Amino acid sequence: MRTHFSRPAFLEGIRDMAPMMLGVIPFGMVCGVGAISAGASPVAALAMSMIMFSGAAQIVATQLLVAGAPFAVILLSCLVVSLRLLMYSATMAPYLRPLDHRWRNLLSFVLTDQAFAGTLQRFKRSDDLRANASYFLGTGALLWGTWQIATLAGIVAGQVIPASWQLEFVVPLCFLAVLVPLLRDRVSIVVFAVAAIAVVALDAMPLRLSMICGGLLGIAAGILGDKVMGKRG
Amino acid sequence: MDRELTIWLLIFAVGAITYTARLSFIALFARRDMPPLLAEALKHVPVAMLTAIVLPAVVFLPTGVLRLDVGNPKLIAALVAGAVAWWSKSAVATIVVGMIVLWSLRWFMG
Repeated sequence: MRTHFSRPAFLEGIRDMAPMMLGVIPFGMVCGVGAISAGASPVAALAMSMIMFSGAAQIVATQLLVAGAPFAVILLSCLVVSLRLLMYSATMAPYLRPLDHRWRNLLSFVLTDQAFAGTLQRFKRSDDLRANASYFLGTGALLWGTWQIATLAGIVAGQVIPASWQLEFVVPLCFLAVLVPLLRDRVSIVVFAVAAIAVVALDAMPLRLSMICGGLLGIAAGILGDKVMGKRG
Repeated sequence: MDRELTIWLLIFAVGAITYTARLSFIALFARRDMPPLLAEALKHVPVAMLTAIVLPAVVFLPTGVLRLDVGNPKLIAALVAGAVAWWSKSAVATIVVGMIVLWSLRWFMG
């Protein structure tokens, strides 16, 4: 493990992910409040955040518990909202390939929407594997730690951040900061347009399936676009 | 089944699902090469998935109504923040400008 650990890169990952916490904290609190209202004990509510570590899966699981859905339906629904993680895993796979399996297993555990968006630029920009892995671990450690504290705050104090502050909007803004600079070639703009139209048009689908379907249609358009407009440099 | 027991079973079962999804391709392609079509598709994952996550959070009002006009403060805030992201490539600048625009618009609109 030690051979791949770089303390400066780890701290850099924490620092770069810090602004995102403004959006992660209210979301974690909602998960804590939701678990308690679904009948979980405080320990179970916290364990949910520690082990599932996925806002989308936690919200779906607690909402379906409250609705009295059968166990198998809850599992299947959580599987559906976790499908996007498969795409993140596939995208990170080539970068993490040279690492020790313990590093791969550990970094996989903290692979979330935020960690994916936050580390992607870093992995593209630099091929210093040791620094990149430590950077990824830093972003993941901050996200995981903050997620637990926010959940605990939700369990103990309830929802104390007024909804009118709209802090949850910080999360899409962070993703926007990663997305916009990627739109520098024609094929990427086609991918953006197709994914954007598809995700809005398919919004009526249950379980946010529109997200994965919109994403897949965008990817298909990108493959087609590469064939028609020529390969990107 | 007892509610507390059900919840604990769910925690471990869903935890196994999310971890397996995260580890899946990272473990699968650790030792073998990726098929070329998949590698080609993956180049487009960041733009496609970030778009699919960001767009609904911007164009739909909290009530679920689609609003693509100036009456949607989140849309205006995202457009301004997007311009900041384009020029600055900074997450901090994008967040700060986006939230200031959002709060100002809501304050002016009442």
